Amino acid sequence: MKYALFLGCKIPSKLPAYELSTRAVLVRLGVTLVDLEFNCCGYPARNVSRDAFVVAAARNLAIAERAGLDVLTPCTCCFGTLRHAIRFLEEDPELRSRVSQALAAEGLAWSGKTEVEHILPVLARTIGVDALSAAVRAPRAGLHVAAQYGCHALRPSNLTRFDNPLAPTIFETLIRLTGATPVDWPRQLDCCGDPLHEANAPLSEHIARAKIADALESGAEAMCTACPHCHLRFDSVQAGAPDPSIRTLLYTQLLGLAMGLDEKSLGL
Amino acid sequence: MQSALFHTTLYISLALCVLGLLWRSSAWFRVRVGPDVRAVTLSQRVGALLRGAASALFSVRVFHILGALFLDVLLLRRLFAKEKLRWLGHLLILAGFTLLLLMHAFEAVVTVKLFPGYESTLAPYLFLRNLFGAMVIVGIALWFFGRWRRRTGLASVRRPMAAAFVALLGFVLVTGYLLEAQKIASPQAFYRMAKRFSGTTDPGELMPLRALWASEFGVAFDDLTEPMTPDVMAKGRQMHDDDCASCHAKPASAFVSYPVSRLLAPLTGFLDKARADIWLLYLHVFACFLGLATLPFTRFFHAVAVPASLLVNASAPNQAFSAAGRASKRALALDACLRCGICDAHCSVAPLARHLGNPYLLPAHKLVATGALANGHLLRSGHENEGFRVAEGAFLCTDCGRCTNDCPAGLDLEDLWQAGRGDLAAAGLPAPAQWVQALPALAWAEALEAAHGQHTASDPDASCAPLSADRRSFSRCVQCQTCTNVCPVVAQSIAAEHRVDLTPQKVMNLLRLGLRDLTLGSRMVWDCATCYQCQENCPEGVRVTDIMCELRALAVHRLGSVRSGRAPS
Repeated sequence: MKYALFLGCKIPSKLPAYELSTRAVLVRLGVTLVDLEFNCCGYPARNVSRDAFVVAAARNLAIAERAGLDVLTPCTCCFGTLRHAIRFLEEDPELRSRVSQALAAEGLAWSGKTEVEHILPVLARTIGVDALSAAVRAPRAGLHVAAQYGCHALRPSNLTRFDNPLAPTIFETLIRLTGATPVDWPRQLDCCGDPLHEANAPLSEHIARAKIADALESGAEAMCTACPHCHLRFDSVQAGAPDPSIRTLLYTQLLGLAMGLDEKSLGL
Repeated sequence: MQSALFHTTLYISLALCVLGLLWRSSAWFRVRVGPDVRAVTLSQRVGALLRGAASALFSVRVFHILGALFLDVLLLRRLFAKEKLRWLGHLLILAGFTLLLLMHAFEAVVTVKLFPGYESTLAPYLFLRNLFGAMVIVGIALWFFGRWRRRTGLASVRRPMAAAFVALLGFVLVTGYLLEAQKIASPQAFYRMAKRFSGTTDPGELMPLRALWASEFGVAFDDLTEPMTPDVMAKGRQMHDDDCASCHAKPASAFVSYPVSRLLAPLTGFLDKARADIWLLYLHVFACFLGLATLPFTRFFHAVAVPASLLVNASAPNQAFSAAGRASKRALALDACLRCGICDAHCSVAPLARHLGNPYLLPAHKLVATGALANGHLLRSGHENEGFRVAEGAFLCTDCGRCTNDCPAGLDLEDLWQAGRGDLAAAGLPAPAQWVQALPALAWAEALEAAHGQHTASDPDASCAPLSADRRSFSRCVQCQTCTNVCPVVAQSIAAEHRVDLTPQKVMNLLRLGLRDLTLGSRMVWDCATCYQCQENCPEGVRVTDIMCELRALAVHRLGSVRSGRAPS
């Protein structure tokens, strides 16, 4: 099993533990990760120019395509953005020709061969629950965590093909096999508030705090995440705040701990 | 060369250099980048430097500084990690230039003291001088080749003084080689020396020595007609050993100048008459003095600023710097950037820069703009568009940290970008989400109407906002309010008193009514979290969130044109 690892912009600079733990876990599970020089997924440009956003995304896809690899990303936002770009390219021939022209200037081409996968479905379906369960050496029994799905993984479901968007179970399944217990929490499918950070910081914080309070009330000791944006949002609203705090734990860290990997290799 | 002229020019150049260095480095205590350091005073900054230096030098941190001095400053470790070819080029320039400076320019104060028998015309100095010069030339060539090979297809930052400086450096080297070549081949120089050391200039008397020097030392006599018999040569060698050998080795080891002197041999007589040895010497020396005097104002200043920056970085971890320390570190970074363009080549938003035709997304350009804003040059009247473009670039940066990682000068660019964005926002150039929401949606719609004459959902937008321009994408909306009911922004904004002006369903309705311009500045559109709940749950399959994203891009485009006074398209 071999993928081009797409880390995006946030993980290397702001959440290196996610890169560390992703590599540690996947390498142990026999996945080969290839590093290519990707650029920004295109997400920030969606608010400025649709063409620029799709060009940036398509350039990444073309780089992976040239290497003959599918893309695996631990970032939910990058995942959604790349999938959106594919949809726009498929449904708009004029856009496709403009983008092809831009890519051709660099000797690149997009033909749609490269698939974009999020880390959770790769773990649950491609590697498989059985293989993961077999790799668990040190179950985290007694740990209650709230699964934070992340919007751009779940929705729009016809694009992300991630799970049932109204009643997803993939994250809970993945948590259970580590021995930890997923809690039921009403705000589970809500946004973490991060994309609002620039437009409306107080509202962004309010949304994040509401989620944290809900997870705590539901008995969670940790917020289990699979997206750097969600993870960093929960960390940043809690930084220096007097509110009751909840730990944030990346799923790759939880799985790594259960697999008996040492904390340092998981960035803990 | 006349000693008085030499010394006067030297001291004037030196004085200009010192004054220039003082002026340039004073900027590290004057220039302010970032709202967080605006209140910092000069004395606080000087105090922070002294305290920082003291606490670094009298702690284990001193080993970090020594490590940085050796590995980063002298061996250019950071450049080695990124681009081996440019590293080799730079190291050759650095080593060649420094060695030339010490052995050749400072021969009277350095080389003579260290090597008592030193004469510039003896081995191995003839060879070494040529070698060091050649190292600089090869280094410059490698540097340019590396730059050319890694060209990004993006405009590189203009640096006219850098080209002028390289040209001056090249000029010094070329005149140096030519001067040496001319002196090797010059009969005039031969006679001058003969007079001094053999006490005669009579060509006949000097014939054996001339024969030897013509055949082994490359002097281009044009009147040497007698055959060079072994006897003559032996006599010449005797004369040479008596009067010349203690100061002269065979010049063939000057592997650049000697071949050049062979090439110039036919012209030597003419050059001698024209006194080329004198004016080449003047050109060579005055070019050096010119370089010295202008050093602080050329890119060569990086030889001061980059080591300073690397050592300051090594003196404490980033987060340990006080506001005063940060202020100076940022100002120093503005000077220490070489515009080498390595950051631009690896910038993660470079494809966006290329596509939007806006170089200000790229780190090297952004750094120049950040400096221009801090120095008050950016926001001159008549250059408003420049400011808008700089802001667009600054706020599309994703803070991925690659530029900071890749910077061969080790600059903390992420910190500089954050500070620069603060300055832009304070100067009235904030992120789109901020400037759009500074006016209510209705005011924007009216401004658009005034600029445009009518509300429109016209075709030019079909490529940049195809869904909102195509009725089919929203005409199925039955105003059922499902989108509004599932919207976390609507729900939370009511609870948190951050009321949105419209709801998603109303945005769709305005589109249905052909009043798209009314949505462009609305809080709902700009506060949309893009969580896709509305789109997922819409019973009619309207792509509500995709439309919201489009409306924002359209707003940046259309409202941006109103804001900058251009006619909206």
